[in-house]
Amino acid sequence: MVDTAQSTVVGPSILINGNLQGDEDLLVLGRVEGSINRTKTINIAESGIVKAEITVKNAVVSGVVVGNITASDSVEITEAGRMVGDIRAPRVIIVDGARFRGAVDMGDLEAPRASGPLPQRSADRPALVNSSAPAPQAQKAPAAKAPAPAPMKKAIAPPPPPPAKKAEPVRAPEPTVVMAGAKKLKKKVVVKKKSD
Amino acid sequence: MANTVIGSSIVIDGEITGDEDLVVQGTVKGKIQLKESLYVEASGVLEADVETQNAEVSGQVTGNVTASDKVELKSNCRMVGDIKAPRILIADGASFKGNVDMDV
Repeated sequence: MVDTAQSTVVGPSILINGNLQGDEDLLVLGRVEGSINRTKTINIAESGIVKAEITVKNAVVSGVVVGNITASDSVEITEAGRMVGDIRAPRVIIVDGARFRGAVDMGDLEAPRASGPLPQRSADRPALVNSSAPAPQAQKAPAAKAPAPAPMKKAIAPPPPPPAKKAEPVRAPEPTVVMAGAKKLKKKVVVKKKSD
Repeated sequence: MANTVIGSSIVIDGEITGDEDLVVQGTVKGKIQLKESLYVEASGVLEADVETQNAEVSGQVTGNVTASDKVELKSNCRMVGDIKAPRILIADGASFKGNVDMDV
C-alpha cells in the first residue's frame, strides 16, 4: 500500500469512463475513456487501454492509446506500445517495435522552419518590385505631370513643365538601362526615341 | 497490489466500473460499479451512486450506496444518501443522513 498510496492505479479490470484529473502519477492497467488532465506521469502498461485526450507532463505508452497526447515534457512509446493519435511534446521517444500512427509536434522546431522561408519570400518580392516598377513609374511620371502642368500654365510658370517633359523621358530610360531585369523594355524605349 | 487506487490529488468525473477492489483517496463524481470492495479512505470524497459488493467508508460520500454484501460506515466518515445492503454497520462517531434498507 505504500507504493500505491503515492500514485493512482487503475487496475486491470477497471473501466473509467469520463474525465480524470489530478497532480500525481497514474498507472493504467485497465481502461480509461474520456480525458486525462494534469497528471504528472501517466504510465500505460501493456494491459492498459486508453481512449482519451491526454494532457500530462510525461507519458509512457506500453499499452494501447487512441487519442492525442499533449505532454509538457516527454512522450515515450515503448516497443510494446501502440498508439493512434497526435503527439505534442518537446521530447518524443518512439522505440523500435512501437506502432504509431499520427502526427508528432515537438514545438521548438517550428520556429526556425517558419522563419526560414519567410526571408526568401520577402527577398524575392522586393526584387520583382524593383525591376518591374521603375520602368512604368518613369513612363507614368511624365505622363501624369504633362496633363497637370497644362492647366497650371495660366497661373504659374509655363516654361518649367516643357523642359521637364523633355528631360524626364530621357532620364527615364537611363535608370531602366541600369536595371538588370528590364532589357526588353530598354530596347522598346530606345526604338521609340529613334522614331521620335 | 492489483488494487485500483485513486490517489488523493485525482479527480474523476464520470463512471468507474470493474471487477476488483477500488481504493478512493481522491475525488470521484459520477458513478461507481464494482463486483468487489470499495474503500473510501479518510481523504476520499465521493459524489456518486455506488453499486458494489462491499463498501467501507472512512471519508465523505454523497449519493446512494447499494451493496450486495455489506456497507460499513467507519467513525469520522460523513455520508449523505441511502444505503441498501443486507448488512450495514455504522460505527460510533460516523455521521450519516439517509435511509437504510436491509431488505428485511
